[in-house]
Amino acid sequence: MFMQLLFGLSALLTLSGAIAVLVTKNIMHACIFLLASLIGIAGLYATLGADFVAVTQIMVYVGGIVILMIFAVMLTGGKDFVSRAQNLLGLAPSMGNKWTYTVGLLVSLVFLLTNVKLISSIVKSHPAKTFGNEFPSTVNQLGHLLIKDHVLAFELSSVLLLGALVGAAMIARPRKQ
Amino acid sequence: MMSLASYLIISLALFVIGLAVMLSRKSIVAILLGIELVLNAAALNFVAYSRYVTNNLDGHIFSLFIIVIAAAEAAVGLAIVIRFFQIKETIHIDEATQLRN
Repeated sequence: MFMQLLFGLSALLTLSGAIAVLVTKNIMHACIFLLASLIGIAGLYATLGADFVAVTQIMVYVGGIVILMIFAVMLTGGKDFVSRAQNLLGLAPSMGNKWTYTVGLLVSLVFLLTNVKLISSIVKSHPAKTFGNEFPSTVNQLGHLLIKDHVLAFELSSVLLLGALVGAAMIARPRKQ
Repeated sequence: MMSLASYLIISLALFVIGLAVMLSRKSIVAILLGIELVLNAAALNFVAYSRYVTNNLDGHIFSLFIIVIAAAEAAVGLAIVIRFFQIKETIHIDEATQLRN
């Protein structure tokens, strides 16, 4: 019962947050709605028994990526809040216009219908399984997997993060014109 | 209610919304928000399959690496956004027409 409640609330938070990211006109509000959506995904991970992934999701996304996004919005917002459009949909500054919304919604609809066709066969072949409310902790097994089976990817990701750190500092540094 | 199909449907809806955000917004930061939604939909699929189909933890590992790569991508992407703003004084995607300034 608790798991069902957590699942329902997390799914609601995830989907409503994502839809709000799509329709809101203010980019700062979009960042905050993305935050809600990411917390909902962490709740979904918790209902799947992935405790370590859920905590990592909250730490990295909520504590890192969304804060970076808000910093970028604050550093670059300014002139973009001046509208340059004439019609109603394009009235909010740099948030897309009638044509981009039409193309985006059409492509998404085609993709949605294609995948509903694919998922309908999965629904038939995998009937609903029930699990208890108790999950074993996965941290121990994940640690063993990371330093035994996936050690190459683990070490490569540290090199990737170092490269991203140095690259981001290089790209964004102020330089003399 | 909690089955593989429900997780797949949530992940599909998330992917589609992220795709619509990426295609319809004109601000570069908003496009990066759409990319985050798409990456999260993929990671959610990995964990759902790992729970309901394979019964081991390899999907969790994939999901962790997706989070790592998303962090690196967001850092470099936002650095490019800030540099682009220094040059063009806007973050409108239509202004991004040349590679050198």
